[in-house]
Amino acid sequence: MMTVSALDLETPLSALDEPAWLKEEREAARALFARLPWPTAKDESWRYAAGRLKSVPFDWPLALPRGKTLQKEELPEAVRERLKGAEYAGLLVFLGADLAYAELDGDLKEKGVLFTGLLEAARRHPERVRESLYRAVPAKDGKLPALMAAAWTHGAFLYLPKGLEEPRPFFAFFLHEEGTLSVGRTLAVLEEGARASYVEEHLGEGAHLAASELFLRPAAHLVHAHVQTQGEKSYHLYRQRALLEKDTGLRDLTVNLGADFARAEVGSELLGPGADSEMLGVYFAAGRQHHDHDTLQHHKSPQARSDVYYKGVAKDEGTIVYQGLIRLEPGAQKTDAYQTNRNLLLNRGARAESVPKLEIAANDVRCSHGSSIAPIDEEELFYLRTRGFSKESAENLLVAAFLEDVLGRIPLKDLADHLARVIEEKVFREPLLAEKGR
Amino acid sequence: MANRLEIQDLWASHEGKMILKGVNLVLPLGEVHALMGPNGAGKSTLGKVIAGDPNYQVEKGRILLDGEDITDLPPEERAKRGLFIAFQYPVEIPGVQVANFLRLALKERTGEEPPIHEFYQRLKEAIELLDWDEEVLSRYLNEGFSGGEKKKNEVLQLLVLKPRYAILDETDSGLDIDALKAVARAVNALRGPEFAALLITHYQRLLNYIEPDRVHVMMDGRIVRSGGPELAKELEKRGYDWLRAEVSGA
Repeated sequence: MMTVSALDLETPLSALDEPAWLKEEREAARALFARLPWPTAKDESWRYAAGRLKSVPFDWPLALPRGKTLQKEELPEAVRERLKGAEYAGLLVFLGADLAYAELDGDLKEKGVLFTGLLEAARRHPERVRESLYRAVPAKDGKLPALMAAAWTHGAFLYLPKGLEEPRPFFAFFLHEEGTLSVGRTLAVLEEGARASYVEEHLGEGAHLAASELFLRPAAHLVHAHVQTQGEKSYHLYRQRALLEKDTGLRDLTVNLGADFARAEVGSELLGPGADSEMLGVYFAAGRQHHDHDTLQHHKSPQARSDVYYKGVAKDEGTIVYQGLIRLEPGAQKTDAYQTNRNLLLNRGARAESVPKLEIAANDVRCSHGSSIAPIDEEELFYLRTRGFSKESAENLLVAAFLEDVLGRIPLKDLADHLARVIEEKVFREPLLAEKGR
Repeated sequence: MANRLEIQDLWASHEGKMILKGVNLVLPLGEVHALMGPNGAGKSTLGKVIAGDPNYQVEKGRILLDGEDITDLPPEERAKRGLFIAFQYPVEIPGVQVANFLRLALKERTGEEPPIHEFYQRLKEAIELLDWDEEVLSRYLNEGFSGGEKKKNEVLQLLVLKPRYAILDETDSGLDIDALKAVARAVNALRGPEFAALLITHYQRLLNYIEPDRVHVMMDGRIVRSGGPELAKELEKRGYDWLRAEVSGA
């Protein structure tokens, strides 16, 4: 395991151009990081992932801003491809730790919408950032949250003023660079009655730590997606917390398709009656990838609803893990909380773990959870093959069918189609040598 | 020999148990044959082995399609050469719409996307022939279908995919009289010099609507008798026992 002394944060971070209060917050987080222990397999949530965490190269140099910018026509091909024909309200593109390109509809700007880099926002709109930053994902949550709080160098800030409804999505693309450790942080604040969609996509290489804090003030509605399609020698550790006040709606999607080791900790806190959190997850581990997920539905208020629906596929020697907790505080009466995890294994070497949990301290509630792990159905496979589908095409169709009800629930058609294509490529890709002939 | 499906001395087992014990059968293109026999005779197994079900082990013998030995080919290669099986128990695949499934299947077989207009015309005609509702095309494959609807869906695929050789495994069981007539109408519409079918059935009922050119009777993993349509009528009248007695006595 990485020693703290080998991770020099102080020197590089002192160079960041930021307000003093933020430097102090970082300093406190850094002290906490130095003190807290690394997660081990004895921590329930890290039971299956602690071993892989050891492989994350925390000693890679920290990615720092270098002032690199791009013109729109210089945007990387992968980003341009994704934007083809897409309508959007705003766009941020990060290269490493640089906010290289930013665009926001002029009309929205005038109405008080902010969509920019978090570091830039901390300098120019400190009052907006300061009241929410670190409130959803505080440093005290653990070793990695402390590191995330201390060392972030870039990320997105989205702010929607009261009552503003924007139908077009806001996009942020993060292109991570090989051989670097990068730490990003996203903060989204939707004031009362605001409505927006925000999609964050992570591409490229390197080791990336990401934290997202989502604030939904009363009656706000947010569609949120965190999509990770990084290269297969990269690492992606993600923690998200959303705070939902009364009558809010969050529709959340977490996608892990890339990286050697990826972990997502996604949680919603239901703080007011009428709050509704739908959390979807899609993941697919091939080769020797490990995709780890930990969800939390934390009901602190009565009369709120939450629904987790995570579906994963594994092939070759891929490992997929889901752990989820529904926690109901004593006051959380009339709660509806559901949790479903389904896993599909394409061959014998692939592995899945599914651990749903309930902690219920209220009595007048409706809660259910279910999970399943199943190999691909041989009969279905044979049926499709008698219709002329090759084995790979048949598997692809069955994987698409398996994920259809999650992808179909995403209100962003472009994104759903893109994900279907990435998944298809993974199904068709040559199996690992060790898998051949099985 | 070209233009026929030929089974030569076929022996096949399932989980170590021999089920087919030397089947010989010739189905020439342009003909419809019925395969009858009591439960457990191996009729369905024969259908699955011809289709290439990996759960069955061919121990001996050959399957020839238009003169080519397909015994060791994967199921999709047999399909691409014009073979089709309508299953007795079709699987349910939620998440795949019937129309989309058929479009993809045509694409897999031919390597190219079927022209949209032509494709929908084909679907429409098939649906009409089966006296069905177009609504079925947007449903998920067999999900929530009644037993009869599943069988009709197999025949719908048969009509749209237009194979040269079709095996219908008890497609008549579980159908009401109207559905049975619709299925018969579909098969009769396909009849012609470029189509052959093997109807696996227990009963004469379907054969009242589809007159077979030949009738084969299977018992204990072998074809024990072949004849004209009158053989089916005789079996309907007298059952299988007399034949069993004759065969074992012989």
